[in-house]
Amino acid sequence: MIRYLRQWRRDWYYVFTNELRMIFCDSGVMVIFFLAGLAYPLIYGIVYGNGTVDDTPVAVVDLSHSTESRRFIRKMDATREISIAYTCTDMEEAARLMRERRINGIVLFPEDYGDAVTCGRQARISTYADMSSFLYYKNLLMAVNHVMLSEMHDIQIQRFSAMGISGQSAIQLVEAMPYEENIPYNRGFAYGFFFIPAALMLVIQQTMFYGSSMLAGTKREHDRNALLMPELKGRDISRTLLGRGAAYYLIYTGLSIYIAVLVPRIFGLPQYGRFGDILVFLLFYLAACVTFSLTFSSLITRRETVFVLFLFMSPVCLFLTGFSWPETAFPAFWRLFSYIFPSTFAAHAFINLSSAGCTLAMIAPQLKALAIQTVIYYTLAWTAAYLEHRDTTSPDFP
Amino acid sequence: MMAVVRRELKMMRRRPLYPLASAGTLAFCMVFFLTFFRNGMPHGLPVGVVDLDGSSLSRELRRQIDATDAVSVCEFGNYEQARKAMQCGRINAFCVIPENFARKMQSGRQPVLTIYTNAQYFVGGSLAYKDLITMANLASGAVQREILSAKGMNETSIAGMIQPIAIDTHQIGNPTADYGVYLANILIPGIMEMIVILITVYAIGSELKYGTSRQLLKTAGNSTVRALAGKMLPYTLLFTLMGLACDIVLYGIAGYPLAGNILNMMAGITLLVLSSEAVGIFLIGTLPVLRLCISISALYSVLAFSMAGFTFPVEAMPPYVRGLSAIFPLRHYYEMYVQEAVFGAGFTAWWPEAVHLLIFLFLPFTALKRLGKAFRKLNYPKN
Repeated sequence: MIRYLRQWRRDWYYVFTNELRMIFCDSGVMVIFFLAGLAYPLIYGIVYGNGTVDDTPVAVVDLSHSTESRRFIRKMDATREISIAYTCTDMEEAARLMRERRINGIVLFPEDYGDAVTCGRQARISTYADMSSFLYYKNLLMAVNHVMLSEMHDIQIQRFSAMGISGQSAIQLVEAMPYEENIPYNRGFAYGFFFIPAALMLVIQQTMFYGSSMLAGTKREHDRNALLMPELKGRDISRTLLGRGAAYYLIYTGLSIYIAVLVPRIFGLPQYGRFGDILVFLLFYLAACVTFSLTFSSLITRRETVFVLFLFMSPVCLFLTGFSWPETAFPAFWRLFSYIFPSTFAAHAFINLSSAGCTLAMIAPQLKALAIQTVIYYTLAWTAAYLEHRDTTSPDFP
Repeated sequence: MMAVVRRELKMMRRRPLYPLASAGTLAFCMVFFLTFFRNGMPHGLPVGVVDLDGSSLSRELRRQIDATDAVSVCEFGNYEQARKAMQCGRINAFCVIPENFARKMQSGRQPVLTIYTNAQYFVGGSLAYKDLITMANLASGAVQREILSAKGMNETSIAGMIQPIAIDTHQIGNPTADYGVYLANILIPGIMEMIVILITVYAIGSELKYGTSRQLLKTAGNSTVRALAGKMLPYTLLFTLMGLACDIVLYGIAGYPLAGNILNMMAGITLLVLSSEAVGIFLIGTLPVLRLCISISALYSVLAFSMAGFTFPVEAMPPYVRGLSAIFPLRHYYEMYVQEAVFGAGFTAWWPEAVHLLIFLFLPFTALKRLGKAFRKLNYPKN
């Protein structure tokens, strides 16, 4: 027994150090692990840094030339979302400015706007949003709606007082049911806050998968059954898997703390989760990533194949995390498909943990899913290695 | 050159994985992005209601929120439970209907509705937010309507009182504000760019890796230009066909809105294909080590999605990274797409983008000498 354990430990250590040596001697893998792993989070932090799109330029076409429309325009200009960049005399001019991409929206006040407001009719405003980016559309919509609500409030009070209802009773009618808005976690709906946490989790999974697959491909190019470590003479597959896995686990424990803890801090992203909780979560996530990589890298026979075949999965996985399109709206098939990837659960858990201040108990469902993935992928990786081993050692093998 | 083309076709036949993979990848991504956002806008987003009143009026309000298309209501017994559900991302927003809601409402004592929005998730959060705010305003309107019609006011005047200002929104280029239309239009060409760059780098790099480049040069009569042109010709045809298929699927079969002309879009995607190939040749020429170059190409092509500026606009990025967006063909394709498909402004409006994409075609010439030398000497590490 003791001899077995000692042999196991020796084999494991041999595989472990061998894998580490291979990683650090391979410039391509180093680029993926360290250049991508270290630089991508920084690049994303810088690119999406301030996160909000403020003062989207908008043109105004005011055909009514009334005090009411001018007040509306002034209030719009004062919002955070948009700024009035041009005042146009007609729609043609505004449309031309939009095509020239000087503005991303148009607000049109028709000729009777002022009259309608003063005469107690319903006044109409038309907005034209440039849909080339949804953030332009959202800004125009939010700013105009916001000003409209505040204007409406004033106009309603005036109209009620014209009807003989004034003072407190008018306010009671106009604000029959006032409301308070609370937008915790991300007050300004900053895009970076949505994107970065999901992207960070994805960087961990994807770089590990690509790097380990490149190595697996390299080994296979040299020798068909190099992955099984012929030095071990077919002794128990698990020590090879655990040895290789441990190498990635070791490197990524460091990298992932940098990615999940340091990078958000550098860019001032919200971090309400406790460090210990994040660490525990990362250990779960890394285990799932390592076994996921071990499983899928066994399909790779040449080192470059992984990029040609699987690089496109990065944007796909990003959407499967549900960071933008809500998970409840996924078609059933794609929801099942998303369960293949550890990043789906990890992004969810990480967002809840670090931007909403969840505790470990609250992300237990995701941790459980990651643990299940780890077990399944370990079994799959073991089976793949076993089958390969059987094929290469069978007597009919040339 | 034809000899090189024949050689390349033979290689493609012998190892068809890469041409097949490129077409398969694109097909998968098209199916994915076209079906993933199938509904255009999400429906039935879960939102919470905490009803502390439990009156028929508060139940009516809950029913009305539930009746809107965008959201569906889950009930929570208290604030604590709803907050936890929101923290865990199970609901996109929730509102608290205060105690004595009905009583206060009837006596005009203005009960305050509290709305909490989960701003951790982009689309779900903002839609649920919009929906709840609209409902709150409508509820106030309903009270006014009751009182005004009791006073004998007619419908048009009531509308003028309840909603003195109405806004009609026109969404240019995407009339239904379809999220899939917005994203797939650039994501799919982005995938296209990624495939073209990787396959180009691989096709040329593998000549170096497997030491077949001397034979390639010999077939091409010792001319690097002819060797590259002959080698890339079959791929160019394949990629262009894939690009055209993209446009046919997007604007023909899926029926995505297109203000301009599909032929112009096809011209645009062909330029994207050519410029991406040029980038690929440039990358492998500058760094003639396949193992390293393919990693660098992967990093570059993933970054293109962010730097194209279609999700997060380039002008909102810090000034010192804005200019970098110009080094990605996808950025120029996006600008071209906006002019053609969104505004229908035609070639006269996007010719500068065509010029930018054509400028990429000069890139390979800067790396030609280096690549030719690598081809001849094979003096870079192969593994």
